Amino acid sequence: MSSVPAAPAAPAPAAAARRRSSVRLVLGFSAAALVLVAIGPAILPDFMVNNLIRAFLYAVVALTVDILWGYTGILTFGQSAFFGIGAYSAGLIFTHMGFTFEHAALAFSAGIVVSAAVAALVGWLAFYQGASPLYASVVTLVLPIIVAQVLYSGGNFTGSSSGLSGFESFDIEMHTWFWIAGTFLVIVTAGAWMFVRSDAGRVLVAIRENEARCEYLGIDVSRVKILLLVVTAVIAAIAGYAFASVQMVVAPEYAGFVFGTELVIWVALGGRGTLIGPVIGTLLIDVSTAYLSGDLPYYWKLIIGVAFVLVIVALPRGIAPLVTRLFRRARKGGEAAQDSPALRKAQEEPFAGLAGGGHHAIALAGVRKHFGSLQVLEGIEFTAQRGELLSLVGPNGAGKTTLMRCLADGAERSAGSVLINDHDIARAPPCQCVAFGVGRKFQNANTFDALTVAESLRIARTRLEAPSLWTRAGSLDLPDAALKVMQATGLDQRLGMQVRHLSHGQKQALELAMVLALEPSVLLLDEPTAGLTKQERTQIGQILTELTAKHGLCVLLVEHDLDFVREISSRVIVLHQGRIVLDGTVTDVVESELVRTIYAGGGAMSARLA
Amino acid sequence: MSQLLDIVTTAAILYAVAAGLLIVFGVMKIINFAHGGFLTVGGYSALIVTELGGNPWLSLPFALVVGCVLGMIVERLVVRPLYARPLDAILATWGLGIILGQLITLYFGREVQFVESPVKGAIEFAGASYSQYRLILVLLAVAIAVLLGLVLNGTRLGLQTRAVIMNENLARGLGINSGLVRFITFSLGAGLASLAGALITPLSSVDPNMGVPWLVSAFMLVLVSGMSLVSLALACLVLGGAQVLVSTYGNPILGGLTIVVLAALILRFRPQGFARE
Repeated sequence: MSSVPAAPAAPAPAAAARRRSSVRLVLGFSAAALVLVAIGPAILPDFMVNNLIRAFLYAVVALTVDILWGYTGILTFGQSAFFGIGAYSAGLIFTHMGFTFEHAALAFSAGIVVSAAVAALVGWLAFYQGASPLYASVVTLVLPIIVAQVLYSGGNFTGSSSGLSGFESFDIEMHTWFWIAGTFLVIVTAGAWMFVRSDAGRVLVAIRENEARCEYLGIDVSRVKILLLVVTAVIAAIAGYAFASVQMVVAPEYAGFVFGTELVIWVALGGRGTLIGPVIGTLLIDVSTAYLSGDLPYYWKLIIGVAFVLVIVALPRGIAPLVTRLFRRARKGGEAAQDSPALRKAQEEPFAGLAGGGHHAIALAGVRKHFGSLQVLEGIEFTAQRGELLSLVGPNGAGKTTLMRCLADGAERSAGSVLINDHDIARAPPCQCVAFGVGRKFQNANTFDALTVAESLRIARTRLEAPSLWTRAGSLDLPDAALKVMQATGLDQRLGMQVRHLSHGQKQALELAMVLALEPSVLLLDEPTAGLTKQERTQIGQILTELTAKHGLCVLLVEHDLDFVREISSRVIVLHQGRIVLDGTVTDVVESELVRTIYAGGGAMSARLA
Repeated sequence: MSQLLDIVTTAAILYAVAAGLLIVFGVMKIINFAHGGFLTVGGYSALIVTELGGNPWLSLPFALVVGCVLGMIVERLVVRPLYARPLDAILATWGLGIILGQLITLYFGREVQFVESPVKGAIEFAGASYSQYRLILVLLAVAIAVLLGLVLNGTRLGLQTRAVIMNENLARGLGINSGLVRFITFSLGAGLASLAGALITPLSSVDPNMGVPWLVSAFMLVLVSGMSLVSLALACLVLGGAQVLVSTYGNPILGGLTIVVLAALILRFRPQGFARE
């Protein structure tokens, strides 16, 4: 089974080589950076060493902002709060309990546990199903305000506005701290680098690009975001702990909202979504601030403000991409081609990757949907079995797409019940419905513009094959049907191409392939062939009939092209003004006077009924 | 009684501060984080007027004009390129707030300064002695609300503005110059922020960062109000009232958090907030 080669296997060795070279690049950069860190204290003036220690730790926090904002699209003002939590867990415990190694370990664990708990709470609040990106930003804005106020109101315990200082800490030389902080930064940067370039890292970009599509590919976006926030919070807290330990001072400002916005400014100036940009940006700005704020305190902050506004308006991707572009040009644009994995046929238990084989594939009872006083669907009831190719037809505004939505997202309908493979979907979010066996293709091509074809398909497989956190897999396993769609539309020759460069028809085909890659048992297709050529359309039709016949899928198809419907359907449901007016075979529908009048015009219809 | 007055006057102050932010958000779908900066500008406009020996009442129109002109410049240079990038607009306007704060610091210094109040002392009101200026503020806030309502519902510009709020593309297709509507709206929003800054300075003091806490409160109030001036009034009364009560019976620090925490929770469980739909 698995030996069937599906598509050009040629890219594989090249891709593997490029991956190896990318790992070597990270190792090389890290080694060089570590050498710099090692010799730093010997060649730099003490003032510089002191400032760089602080800047290294800030840069670690800036990296977490970059992961959240630059890669995942969550604009956060709240990472300062976690930095503050880490710093205060050291400050509070060392001040009130004294410094011992046990207490140091206790403070370290406390910082991690508290920041993780707070992050989980904040994530639950900010990233609920259907939360807007603005709301998430609001919550991250509220967090540091609350933490800082709590610290202000803590009286002698937290030191209120003056914070805590003069506590005992690790008896370590500045030079050693420099090495510790520098190594910490290098490790976090290299780890983040590996992570964002891994298959799991691509999921973050997919979320940034198109959150809804991720949900409908079975990815629990809320959970991913909460996990990510917890991990980045813990990293920020560790940086805060180190900061308090080396500076032996903590103050509410380090947990506050203004520091949170400063982190965003550094990341924006350096270049969001580049990792190295925010690190360099933070180091340069923070160290320059230390040198310049003595001579021209207000001017310096003014310059930073002006630069920030200019960058946001004119260079949204920051300074780093400019530099790398120059660098690339110098190398004569070498790496334009994206690495693409080899396509392989997935080891399939025919479409059993998901819960399948219930009593009914789809069972609807009393489904109703209204927007305010507008009734869109009313009393929808039908069942469909495995192996059926059921077409849903009806004029514009009949409620076809709304019905599709009600099948794939439990929160959509106003009343009634929907069972998928005998699972009551209740109020289940889309990613849960995918787990019950639903695969939904949207009416308009709904894809990830910034990803390549291969990456998009990999995202679609996330649910079935947990993506690696460190590397990219060298091959991409897809079910037969998805491979056939790729071959029929020539997408298998464009694996490394960015989706934004595909034609409309190709995007449609890609989305269909992505949905098929989910190995669904109930397939919802909203005009899957719009924008395809006659020939491609026929091929897709064949694939669909084969899916139902050989693999026992239940396919629900919305189509306007009645010839296409006639060729492939085993059954047709006619929807008109939100109600089912006919449910029968193709012949029933073709011969129906009613259907003819509906399509000829609504007026004739109502006259007949009256 | 005086507690009730506290609630009403607090709500009025919040309303005056948030109104400008609301109309900018309503029309442009952009959160103007320079709102705090414009507010500070208004505070310093009042300072300039009184330092020059002018009548303190003059500081209100002066602040309004300064804010409007500043808003025009900012809209042209910074906000216009960011219409399609709302999260970036938050950042750019925040940066603008920093710039305004630093320019003010360079010129006026960073110390806290006091502005003369147009009216002083307390009057007997409904059996209690209460700050006269705070009561006048209520009238002014109501006047602002009524004027905004009249402009939006009674003028051609208001009609066009509402059309842009509801469906900008359609409005453009119907020949409405939505760029001009945005330009006027932003300038008016900045003017209102500056006016609010001049209004609140007699109650406290001016310093280069005075706008930031107000910005945060106004931002949260606008988010729970949707796009409506009426629901903004409701939000100001409810959340402002809660703030007064928590500050009185709890402690002032918790009181300072009341608006942000309540607003965040309200939005979590009722994303449309105080708006009807």
